[in-house]
Amino acid sequence: MKVMMFLLLALVACELGTGRTASSSPGYSYGDQTGKNGACLSCHADTAKVKGTRYIDPAKYAHTNHSRIGCLACHDEVTGGHGGSGRTTGKTSCVVCHGDINVEYSRSSHAGNATCNGCHNPHRVNSPNEISGQDMNRMCSSCHDIYSVSASHGKWLPQADLHITMLPCITCHTGSKNYVINLYIVKRSTEERSGKFDLASHGELRKLAEGRDIISLIDTNGDGYVSLAELRNFNRNPQYKDLHLYGMMIPEQVTHSFQILDNRRDCTFCHASGPGAMQTSIIAVPEANGTFRKVAVEKGAVLDALYATPHFYMMGGTRNSTLNKIGLVILAGGLVMPVGHGFLRFLTRKIRKEREDRHE
Amino acid sequence: MSEKNFIYLHPTPVRLWHWLNALGIVTLCATGIQIRFPDVLNIFGSYRAAIVLHNTAGLVVAISFSLWFFYYTLGARTISKIYIPVSSDLKRGLLRQAFFYFFLYFFGCDNPHHPTPDSKFNPLQKSAYLAIMFVLMPLISLTGILLMNVSPLRELVLMAGGLKILVGLHFLLACSLGAFLFTHVYLTTLGHTPLAHTKSMWTGWEEAEDHGGEAEAAHHGNPVPESAMARVKVTP
Repeated sequence: MKVMMFLLLALVACELGTGRTASSSPGYSYGDQTGKNGACLSCHADTAKVKGTRYIDPAKYAHTNHSRIGCLACHDEVTGGHGGSGRTTGKTSCVVCHGDINVEYSRSSHAGNATCNGCHNPHRVNSPNEISGQDMNRMCSSCHDIYSVSASHGKWLPQADLHITMLPCITCHTGSKNYVINLYIVKRSTEERSGKFDLASHGELRKLAEGRDIISLIDTNGDGYVSLAELRNFNRNPQYKDLHLYGMMIPEQVTHSFQILDNRRDCTFCHASGPGAMQTSIIAVPEANGTFRKVAVEKGAVLDALYATPHFYMMGGTRNSTLNKIGLVILAGGLVMPVGHGFLRFLTRKIRKEREDRHE
Repeated sequence: MSEKNFIYLHPTPVRLWHWLNALGIVTLCATGIQIRFPDVLNIFGSYRAAIVLHNTAGLVVAISFSLWFFYYTLGARTISKIYIPVSSDLKRGLLRQAFFYFFLYFFGCDNPHHPTPDSKFNPLQKSAYLAIMFVLMPLISLTGILLMNVSPLRELVLMAGGLKILVGLHFLLACSLGAFLFTHVYLTTLGHTPLAHTKSMWTGWEEAEDHGGEAEAAHHGNPVPESAMARVKVTP
């Protein structure tokens, strides 16, 4: 029995050590190969030597997991004579490592419409947690024209434009069960009063934060956690009048199970989730390398009555309980006259009847 | 056989407006409840149906409100007479009317206010309708129009302070309108008979109380024109 336990623990330790899932079995070592990429990047990170899709942004590539397994892990046919030969190198299939995703994707309604490379560039791909909802939609809109998407959704979806800009496509078109409200910092793109709001860049926010960590604009006590009071202060601060927190509902688990789900056409899938489901939100802070870091926010931020997230409201889902109580008191006030007066009217009905009879 | 005096109190456009508004506001309240509490209540089958109906009823009420405003200001030109309290209303009228409703009424005393086409409302009604028609209705319509068009009117939404401010204001104003409805419907039952005021809003003719109505009205500076009077013989 002890031997069995030891073997089981050893197996688990091996799996954790490699950081891979059981379904992927490429046979490559996941030891960091980054240092060996230099020979390839000496040409492929130089626009003078390579053009178009052969150019690889070294900073973005360095951030990917692919850089850590090394160029040769995928391009194993490359030989010493590759440089300057003009020959196209072979490349391995994504399925070799990402077999589980491939199985999931093959079953989706998107399979056959695009290969992995159709959406993802392996030399700059980031994990779903590191990219914004806008980035996710940018991938989709490279094929799906935004106007035709808006027109087709507008046939049944009220305020289709609003939904399309506030939701990543995968929120409705994959089968995620839980969602998190990601709050992105957006900024007016011009000095004009009516300038459009776009995602604020790392550089812009770093400048506003005077070189400090960007989140210090909101997390003023620097505890790495944004409280409701800090959120309210940020939103009411006239110094940041051109900055907003823009909320998007992002799937907690991003999958490749693209499909048209009938239950998403039922508005109550999102709009009736009620306050219980709208407790969790995070602030996505832009990093220098173009990715986003997530900072935890006190529970219930999007349910706050006014100032925690003044620009994020989801009908039915983010109603505020204090406002509900005030509304109830107002309605009860309206019943004072019918109930109170009506009761006295009932008690005094005989007095009026006698007076009426006397007049007749 | 005796005679009853009737006053033509509510012209046809006003009655049409009133009943259209009534239908619209009741629809707005019912759909609004489902929109805010969809996990608690489903009256209209689907959330989308509730939203579409709410938006349609909201537009109808907003347009009907605008027509009412133009009719009274440009057509009938009686808006200030009917809806703006004069100094005597504020000094004595409010108290006198409140004293009637909350005390004298129970002993069968006469209503101190006798409506005429140009002075339909007692001082309490004038004050209430002034707040409702000139503050509540425009604000609730405006916030509703902004909430219906968040993307195209985003700059106005931002100027107003954001979605949460608009939604909060729209909701609390709707509750105030709901509170008014309870009181309004109850007060309609305080006529000669419980349905007298409702009938008058349907036919336009209000039965004048039997205490020399014309003279009384004239006494209060609101003479009733001959064209707005009718005598009907009734069998007791």
